[in-house]
Amino acid sequence: MELKYFIIRRALVIIPTLMGLTILTFLLLWAYGPNLVAAGFESEKYHNVAAALAAQGFNFSDPIGTYFSYLAHLFTGNWGTINQPISAKTLTAVEIFFPNTIQLAIAATIVSVIIAIPLGTYIGARPNSPADQAGRIFSLSGYALPAFWLAYVLIILFGKKVGVVPYLNIFPYDGNGSLNVSSPIFNNFHVSTPTHILLIDALIAGDIPLFESAFMHLILPVATLTYGILAGILRFIRAGMVDASNQEFVKTARAKGVPEKTVIKKHIRKNALLPTVTVLGLLVSSLLGGVVTVEYVFDYLGIGYLAVYTAEATQVWGILVLTFIFGIILMITNLIVDVIYAFLDPRIRY
Amino acid sequence: MVEENITVTEQKERLKVQDLKVRFFTSKGIVKAIDNLSFSIREGESYGLVGESGSGKSVTATAVMDLIPDPPGRIIRGKIYIDGFNILTDLDQLAKIRIKSPTDVIIKRKKRLIKRHNYIMSGIRGDKVSMVFQEPFLSMNPVMTIGDQIKEAILLHGRVDIANSIIKRETMNAQEVSKIVDTIMAQPDTQTRNKIIVRLCGEYAIPELAKPFTDLFENSTDRDFIINEVLSLVNTKKTGLNLEKLEESKNYFLLRERILDLNLELIGAEHSGDERTAAQLEAQIKELKSTMRSQFLLYSIKRRFMRRFIDAPFEKFAEGRTLELLTQVNIAGPERVMTSYPHELSGGMLQRCMIAMAFSANPQLLIADEPTTALDVTTQAQILDLMKEVNKNYNTSILFITHDLAVIAEMCDRVGVIYGGNLVEEAPVKEIFYNAKHPYTTGLMNAIPRAERRFEKTARLESIPGSVPNLIDPPSGCRFHPRCKFKMDVCSEKKPKLVEIEKDHKVACFLYSDEVEEEPREEIP
Repeated sequence: MELKYFIIRRALVIIPTLMGLTILTFLLLWAYGPNLVAAGFESEKYHNVAAALAAQGFNFSDPIGTYFSYLAHLFTGNWGTINQPISAKTLTAVEIFFPNTIQLAIAATIVSVIIAIPLGTYIGARPNSPADQAGRIFSLSGYALPAFWLAYVLIILFGKKVGVVPYLNIFPYDGNGSLNVSSPIFNNFHVSTPTHILLIDALIAGDIPLFESAFMHLILPVATLTYGILAGILRFIRAGMVDASNQEFVKTARAKGVPEKTVIKKHIRKNALLPTVTVLGLLVSSLLGGVVTVEYVFDYLGIGYLAVYTAEATQVWGILVLTFIFGIILMITNLIVDVIYAFLDPRIRY
Repeated sequence: MVEENITVTEQKERLKVQDLKVRFFTSKGIVKAIDNLSFSIREGESYGLVGESGSGKSVTATAVMDLIPDPPGRIIRGKIYIDGFNILTDLDQLAKIRIKSPTDVIIKRKKRLIKRHNYIMSGIRGDKVSMVFQEPFLSMNPVMTIGDQIKEAILLHGRVDIANSIIKRETMNAQEVSKIVDTIMAQPDTQTRNKIIVRLCGEYAIPELAKPFTDLFENSTDRDFIINEVLSLVNTKKTGLNLEKLEESKNYFLLRERILDLNLELIGAEHSGDERTAAQLEAQIKELKSTMRSQFLLYSIKRRFMRRFIDAPFEKFAEGRTLELLTQVNIAGPERVMTSYPHELSGGMLQRCMIAMAFSANPQLLIADEPTTALDVTTQAQILDLMKEVNKNYNTSILFITHDLAVIAEMCDRVGVIYGGNLVEEAPVKEIFYNAKHPYTTGLMNAIPRAERRFEKTARLESIPGSVPNLIDPPSGCRFHPRCKFKMDVCSEKKPKLVEIEKDHKVACFLYSDEVEEEPREEIP
């Protein structure tokens, strides 16, 4: 039951952080000035910019009042409009793009965790063996290779033909991205998209070919992201395993007569995974915050893709809202990580 | 069946260590941690190993369990007989060591043999020998509850016995009960009677009923009434589980134990050069493994994926046994302790839990590696009492390792004094305290603060000058000679042999005997 209070207390900490975040984004709004801010609210309907702003409750000579009306806008979802990559209300754009990122992030996390835990256990149980060295090279390369480079290499290797480069044509990508921005993917589907996650929507509509296509489109981005995450957590699991296996309690377990395999799986690994949870949480929050380059290269319509367009065209409301959303994602993943950690490690006092 | 007389056979040795040699290969050189150490522990005896820090006490203890961390350490040579079986039989084959220079050593490990060695050791550790460690806080897994850790130790060994006693409980009938009640009532002495009751309750997997039964036998003499009471109480404990499934589990573990035994025999046969027997045994093991695979395929799949259901009766038994063990080591609120994590308990309580864990399989030998060093004095006394009690009640041999001479005087029957990886003196505890021979031992004795010497003029505490030698490059000859008051020329040239100079009293010093220890010429220095 104590855990419940811990969660509540931990969640309350979010409130002041959130306040800070809104103040920071408001400073951004203030810096952009009236013209750009008004652009999000169909200013052409009004006589001048000041009238358009006044209609939304913004008054650039009164910072405090404007801050509060800005808060009202933020929390009611009245986020103005953007014209690129689609011309729509910012809220609608987020609704369309964000689920795609969630799908990508979850898929990449699951795949990398499924691979990293057994692999890290194997490597960590044999420090300095050839397998360990191979793992080290793999991790290092995962850190060192930029994701966009890897993305292009994967497209060239497995996607459709690019110029004269030979191709395998396994996955539906050409060298310039698979989808045309001018006819966005979400308008062309003959199925309704209640969740905006194509995999699920296709299943709901019972459209297997569409599901298959969505799945194939997902594989290369997920592979690219997985490589990076895997590299990160593999090193942590390995370090945790080596660290834990030098502890006294491992000797105790062996002295009890626990077989070697069980010592590794039950006693060492359980302790080794604790620090990994923290790292994984950070990685997941960065994924959810839109992996800009990967989404851009694959023309994957996620929130990172949206962020690139809003920033490029200086669409103030898009920038403000996305900054706000990234902040919230980071806070929530941190909360979840803390709770999971408290759940896993009984030594955490809550 | 209900005899409590323990006959101590003086000759039977529970542990025998012969010519143990342990080396640590570090980047600074080879640490000669243990050199030609030999000693033995008899049944029911408690043997103390004393020495300064860094003299090799703990290394000896870990070597006996074959738990020396590798790398950097390795047992190079020696025999360690636990209950007659030499656990280092295939030591030579486990790894090939090639020394280019003291800092450059190539160790080639044979994976397959090490795997078999580990398999056999995990059958021996915890079952025949168990160990209590120095730092209770560090020696418990921080993310598992105490109950889970003790239960794990219980369930690792003697599954067949557990299954048998559960079956016994489930099939207990009036006839059997009346027979048992008769034998118990025939025992006139209350204390022995209670002991028998406790033991029988353990045998029938109803340890929680020991208390009501002892009360029952104390308060009533009416045979029929007692029988009825016992029957009804036992019936409340019957769970009506599926005995066929339990039989299957039992057969499975029976087969596993058989394979382990055969492996032990195989190692013995291989070592004695009896190739025909070895081949036969190997074939037998292969056959048993294949029958195990075919006969218990479904069972092992179920065990892997539905362990909770398959192991439920065992788990329940283990829970009862854990509670019993924790009560035995005088822990307050054993139910609460079972669900606690190590960080929630004090050092003394954790050390008790460690001892409970060590006794989960009723081992014949307990190795206590400075079990009281991290504890305060009152807790120390309690822990020592506990270990003494166990030593007496279960006739368990104890190898007690400490630097505290007071603890030695309290606990041990025989004492070995270790210096720089060598045993320098070995004698019964009284001899050591009143008739110490070796200059190092006398130095240790003089370093004990004594109340009666407080007012003497020479009230200063005597100490041995110098410090423990660096074992990478130990002194030649007798390793103690640079610090010795009676140093002779021979001391730095030759190594004295451990010789029996009085009955049961062995000393390695040229003051008492001229015998020189012959160093066998070996590749490893």
